Amino acid sequence: MSTQAPAAARPRRQGGILAGRSTRLTRGYSGALRLGVALAVILVVLDVGLPLVMHLNPGAVNLFDRFRSLNTPGHPLGTDDLGRDVLARVVYGFRWSVGVAATATTVLILIGGLAGVIAAAVGGIVQQVVVRAIDLSISLPYLVIAVVILAVLGHGFVPLCLTLGVVSWPIFARVIYTESRSLLQRDYVLAARLAGVRPYKSVLTHVIPGLKTVTMVMTAFLFADMIVAESALSFLGLGATLGSPSLGTMLSDGRTYMVTAPTLTVIPGAAIVLAVITANLIGDGIAHGASSDEGQFE
Amino acid sequence: MSGQAPVALRAEGLTVVTRRSDGREVALVREVNLVLHQGEALGLVGESGSGKSLTALSLMRVLPESMRQQGTIELGGLSLSALPEERMRQIRGAQMSMVFQDPLTGLNPVRTVGSVMREALRRHRRMTRRQAHEASVAALRSVGIPSPQERLRAYPHQLSGGLMQRVMIAMALLHQPAVIICDEPTTALDATIQAQILDLLQLRVASASLILITHDLGVAAQACDRILVMYSGVIVENGRTSEVLDNPRHPYTAGLLAAAPTLDPSRPGMIPIPGSQPAPLSRPPGCAFAPRCARAQARCHREEPDVTTEPSGRSYACWNPHD
Amino acid sequence: MSDLLTYGPAIGTASGARGRTGRGRAALRAVLRKLTQLLLLLLGVSTLLFMLLRLAGNPAAILGGRNATPADLAAIEREYGLGGSLWTQYWRFLSQAVRLNFGHSLFTGQEALGMVLTALPYTVTLALAALVTEMLVAVPLGVWLGTRPGAAPRRAAAGVIFVAQGVPGYLVGLLLIELFAVKLHWLPSIGEAGGTSWIMPTLTLAAYITPRLVRVLAASVSEAMAQDYVRVARAGGASPRAIAFRQALPNALVGATALLGAQFAQLMSGALITEVIFAWPGIGLLMINSVQTLDFPVVQALVFVVAVLVFLVNSAVDLLVLVIDPRIKRGDAR
Repeated sequence: MSTQAPAAARPRRQGGILAGRSTRLTRGYSGALRLGVALAVILVVLDVGLPLVMHLNPGAVNLFDRFRSLNTPGHPLGTDDLGRDVLARVVYGFRWSVGVAATATTVLILIGGLAGVIAAAVGGIVQQVVVRAIDLSISLPYLVIAVVILAVLGHGFVPLCLTLGVVSWPIFARVIYTESRSLLQRDYVLAARLAGVRPYKSVLTHVIPGLKTVTMVMTAFLFADMIVAESALSFLGLGATLGSPSLGTMLSDGRTYMVTAPTLTVIPGAAIVLAVITANLIGDGIAHGASSDEGQFE
Repeated sequence: MSGQAPVALRAEGLTVVTRRSDGREVALVREVNLVLHQGEALGLVGESGSGKSLTALSLMRVLPESMRQQGTIELGGLSLSALPEERMRQIRGAQMSMVFQDPLTGLNPVRTVGSVMREALRRHRRMTRRQAHEASVAALRSVGIPSPQERLRAYPHQLSGGLMQRVMIAMALLHQPAVIICDEPTTALDATIQAQILDLLQLRVASASLILITHDLGVAAQACDRILVMYSGVIVENGRTSEVLDNPRHPYTAGLLAAAPTLDPSRPGMIPIPGSQPAPLSRPPGCAFAPRCARAQARCHREEPDVTTEPSGRSYACWNPHD
Repeated sequence: MSDLLTYGPAIGTASGARGRTGRGRAALRAVLRKLTQLLLLLLGVSTLLFMLLRLAGNPAAILGGRNATPADLAAIEREYGLGGSLWTQYWRFLSQAVRLNFGHSLFTGQEALGMVLTALPYTVTLALAALVTEMLVAVPLGVWLGTRPGAAPRRAAAGVIFVAQGVPGYLVGLLLIELFAVKLHWLPSIGEAGGTSWIMPTLTLAAYITPRLVRVLAASVSEAMAQDYVRVARAGGASPRAIAFRQALPNALVGATALLGAQFAQLMSGALITEVIFAWPGIGLLMINSVQTLDFPVVQALVFVVAVLVFLVNSAVDLLVLVIDPRIKRGDAR
């Protein structure tokens, strides 16, 4: 009936990592997940398929064919200040941005996941050091640090992925650490330990599987963050190498011609927003699906 | 017996309906008729899920948004069911108030007791902050809270459950309402505190009329003049406390009594009723209690029982009642 | 009737007995702990900078720039202590950092720290303006969305906010320029020139953090709306507005305060691009300019100052949470 378990009695700290990203506001979560996956499939199919069915060359300069408008024959999205095909540049720029974001996310999940699980499982001095390192580095504005590192490492795919992964691992490590700790303190894990199961086996059988959902959710959200960060760095001229198309570089180039050719800014901007929203929808969908599953057992 | 004092609150055909996600409507409370006389304490008894709390919320017209209510409610001759929401707000807390089950969650955890009480006072009465503070002190003192000044500065988590329930009662009494509804006011408390809170309710609410919702027949026996027994959203028995408890007509009431723990060595006690209350959607045709009823006949499974009213005023809904 | 008046649990005594000296010592310990953390943070940041500078090749060559002569390089090696083993270099680097001596800009010749401190107020005021804007937008919007999240117009608005959360702040800046500077000629788009020149950078920076706060507030308001104290207030005759602003919002705000630290760090990241877009003379623009010209002394000073600033803000937020959340005050929460 109307007597739900009182949640207000426990002081709750809001503003955790997931706060505000997954809320009860977006109704119809399975809908959100479905929409997100559908968008992702469409985007990937377009990105992979378009170059197969059309001739797309993002680097082809044609100074006699500059600033073509939308729907120009041969250039569905027009051309830019150097006469390059905007559709080709968006398709390859999207591929670049998603590639960087995916690699960077993988790097940070590996580093952060390992650090989090190890700190929680090993305990002692290792735990102290890792937790301190997370606490200290998590508060630093990571774009600022990334800018400094990139200035030294130089441009390109590998430095960009490594830098993004290295500066953003603490966010993931903290979530994994907290989650692992709580999993390790569950009664069945303690029972297994009392029964003589080796601690590392508990980690493998109880902790790692228990981290699946939170990892999926965080992957989606961090991927969205990485898309934004990559485009921001490329926009600042610190990401993509000259010549390799990136959505951020396109934005930065198009900005100069905002008066005469606003599509040069709007189109790559829209591509970034689409990618971010897709990832957020998927993350939100998984997060809610998981929380309503848990709700049934409570 | 009834009709000796004027009627404080009357509800007729009170029904609470909710719409499920598949669009089907389900009645959670059905056709409840209820009369509360001035100065009377009325017990609303039943298992959890029987619709007691929803009945109470619908009397105040504060059901959750997902639910709808039908039927008429009259408070001292004023029809509440027809009142615009704005006017209804002026009634709530002033002429009719409510005490909830869990006192610890009933006050805002980030506000002091005093701040919430002052707000409750100034909601219905024009008064300065200072006057509101003094009225709060007096209110806390009247429910037996020592050093009220200090308690007003406290946050809810700093007070014990018993103390908080006293605060909640003090808040319900702030504007001397004609009717007070207490929804399981002692259930969340320690046994020793329960008795104190019940005593307090009987003492302080004497001037008003009281509806006491409880699943505990002992509590109802101690505090109530009359008892309504609810089962699966319907009132199955209604009568004076002594009549209902000493000589139950409805087999469900009898079952509840047999299931209650007893100190009387001549009675066995703690005999459970087999089965469980049906969910509103899977309510059987006929009498909802029939599947669990030892006295059920073929008719009970087909037809919903009519309400039989005895000359004494007690009534029950059963085809095969106890004598 | 039972003895009503003798009843009264002991409260207040537990926290009162700890006395003033106990609390003073606890506060001192908290401050010492924070200071240790700050030192560790600065040590970490310095080490990172030191390693980066060495990773990039010959630090003297980097510091000297592309056109440095051998004589220049020797002078730089002397000024920055680049001779000797790696450890002596590291030690020298640290001791200079401790004395806040980051050297001079390779381009302007000004003291690096001085340049940073000149630019800092522009960024901090812009960040504060963005925070105020965020509050003005997020509080009413969050309450509106949270009180009845099921209502149709609010669901649509929640959808818009979900999309807005996916729009990078600098895109908002570009669109604002397009609209207000290019199309309408209402607002200046470049530099700090008082008054109206603040509007677009502030909005851009606020766009980085506002959608998130709206969603957090709306979520915690809607959670609070389901709590018992809201039912009590409703049954006591409180109006929907009073319930939203006096019951649900205080709770939501207490929760959202903890978010401020992270938001400030986000603002510092956002300031990088915002200041580039609007040619805003703050530390973000200085950072990008210095990084692009490899003006390392300035970069070092910048990273140092940003780290200290973010740390101080975070500590202040921790303190603020302690002050405004009664449940974790003085350790007498159950």
